[in-house]
Amino acid sequence: MYTLFTLTKSAIKMFVRNKQSLFFALFMPTVIMTIFGFIGFDRIPKVPVGIVVSNPTPATQQFIDQLSQISAFTVTRGSEADQRTALQKGDRSVVLLVPDALLPDPQAKTPPQKQTITALTNVSQPQQVQTTLSILTQILDKTTLSIARAPELFDLKTEQVNSRDVKYIDFLLPGIVAMAVMQMSIFSVAFVFADYKEKGVLKRLIATPMRPYQFVTANVVTRLLMALAQAAILIAIGVLGFHSHVLGSYWLVLLLAMLGGVMFLGLGFVISGIAKTVESVPALANLIAFPMLFLSGVFFPVDAMPAWLGHVVQYLPLTYFANAMREVMANGSGFSVIAKDVYWMIGWAVALIILANFTFGFEEKRV
Amino acid sequence: MQDIIQVKGLTKKYGDLVAVDHISFNVHQGETFGILGPNGAGKTTTLEMLEGLKHITAGEAILDGHNIQSHPREVKTIIGVQLQASSFFDGLNLRELLVTFASLYNRKVNPVELLRKVQLEEKMGNMVKELSGGQKQRLSIAVGLVNDPKVLFLDEPTTGLDPQARRHMWDLITEIKKQGKTIVLTTHYMEEAEVLCDRIAIMDHAKIVAFDTPFNLLKSADVGSTITFRVDKPCPVEHFKSLPAVLTAIAEDHGYRLLSSNPEATLPALFKHETSCEFKVFDLQLRQATLEDVFLKLTGSTLRE
Repeated sequence: MYTLFTLTKSAIKMFVRNKQSLFFALFMPTVIMTIFGFIGFDRIPKVPVGIVVSNPTPATQQFIDQLSQISAFTVTRGSEADQRTALQKGDRSVVLLVPDALLPDPQAKTPPQKQTITALTNVSQPQQVQTTLSILTQILDKTTLSIARAPELFDLKTEQVNSRDVKYIDFLLPGIVAMAVMQMSIFSVAFVFADYKEKGVLKRLIATPMRPYQFVTANVVTRLLMALAQAAILIAIGVLGFHSHVLGSYWLVLLLAMLGGVMFLGLGFVISGIAKTVESVPALANLIAFPMLFLSGVFFPVDAMPAWLGHVVQYLPLTYFANAMREVMANGSGFSVIAKDVYWMIGWAVALIILANFTFGFEEKRV
Repeated sequence: MQDIIQVKGLTKKYGDLVAVDHISFNVHQGETFGILGPNGAGKTTTLEMLEGLKHITAGEAILDGHNIQSHPREVKTIIGVQLQASSFFDGLNLRELLVTFASLYNRKVNPVELLRKVQLEEKMGNMVKELSGGQKQRLSIAVGLVNDPKVLFLDEPTTGLDPQARRHMWDLITEIKKQGKTIVLTTHYMEEAEVLCDRIAIMDHAKIVAFDTPFNLLKSADVGSTITFRVDKPCPVEHFKSLPAVLTAIAEDHGYRLLSSNPEATLPALFKHETSCEFKVFDLQLRQATLEDVFLKLTGSTLRE
């Protein structure tokens, strides 16, 4: 017990003194979160709308002002030629040609004539065009009704049942935590143990009566503590700095961080066992970790992928890890929802640990 | 005297390559035992088999009553080890390193006292990478002593050190010896073996070619004296081999070396030879034979080749 305790204490000292591993464990994920957090993918860009009108009547001007106030639009006025050029360059989604007397003078006795607004639309931006036109139709309908003094028969009342608005940071944070734990687990083990093996540190260790499992345990415990610290620190940054929310149980989050740690530590040992030299570690580790970063739903949902790719990536260890983290943190799910992910993670962990036993060893192979 | 190490027919094979070939020896309690030989003779492999680091192909080794193959952990508990290319953790200072290694033996040590023994106490807060080559070797010995071992194995403790650091290391090893520890060391420095070792096993090509005290080795090899000289005109080394009382002769960088059992017979013949072959001898030296010469006689080659 004294052996294990002292070894763990030393392993923690070594980990914390290693600036490089601290950088990858904490600094990098924070930077990534900051960058992606500030980009703010959840803000819908405004639709640029051009308006061409030469000499609007006061009523028409009022209508145009009303359009300009709609938050979904950025309205620009100009000559028809200028607006057409802007449209062709892709700077406008829609250009509206508005007649001067679009709306009748409220004091006029004669019944209003039908007026025509011509909308020039950008073929390459069908979604924005669609949005603009439907909003426009709605406004025109309402205007018609109010001019005709028809009574409003319907009122659509909306009530927000789930008052929380899911922002991109809420999606991102659990993914970043999973990514950080994966990177730290794989790289800190693969590098350090390949280095120990190459420099003969492991050989020196087995010249003592120490049992290999003691040294491995001390290093695994150290890194699991680091995984917990990572999760706690990154979540604190996300919640305090980016106003994200953790809806589910913190205990479940920490449990997942540990389980993810065990899984990827196993992978780290596999890699350090396969790597012939320290120099080959980053290539090998990145070959495995890098695709997972982008495929496993850390930055964007797996649903956004083509179906065939989705079928493959759903079995990746990081997919289960990020997914379970997100369910708990962003959706507030309990264990029953993530049970399947947890079982898969346990399966991966067992498989990787068994594989590590084959590839990684303290002692030289018996010849 | 009691034997703390008994080695019988120890063999290590890598496929067809025989690295250690049926060697047998014993080490007395409290003595300093040297395994001497050129690089590649099998010294390190022998040591690592005794330390439980390498699998033994055939034969057996008993350390303090424990068979290294069947009870490696018991053996590892009572030995201290310095490996040839010792490397330690980067992120720990010397004091922490010693405490950590002691914990592997489930022991608590006073790291400062251990460091004082190897004159590194002022470095106790430094990291290993901040030490010089000689300091690293001394640290390596301190780490080897954390469990107060009965036997200390030192694999080429002075290789790569400058002469001053080597002297320093010799003093340290002598000091440890005085405390009654059994020391087994390998070296390819003849002088080192002569200074430090009570008994020496000379290894060459995976075998022990001689095994005795330095005094007996010199006596039994009957080397007598060594004659070194240079000539102004190159001459085939075979010429000198046929001179009276010459045991062996080799050409060296700047001349020749003859081992003679009787220089009184060899020298006049050499000068006679000089006139008949028309070359001139200069820088002639006659000295007492050393272990280096014993090795030369036994193997026909020099240690540093």
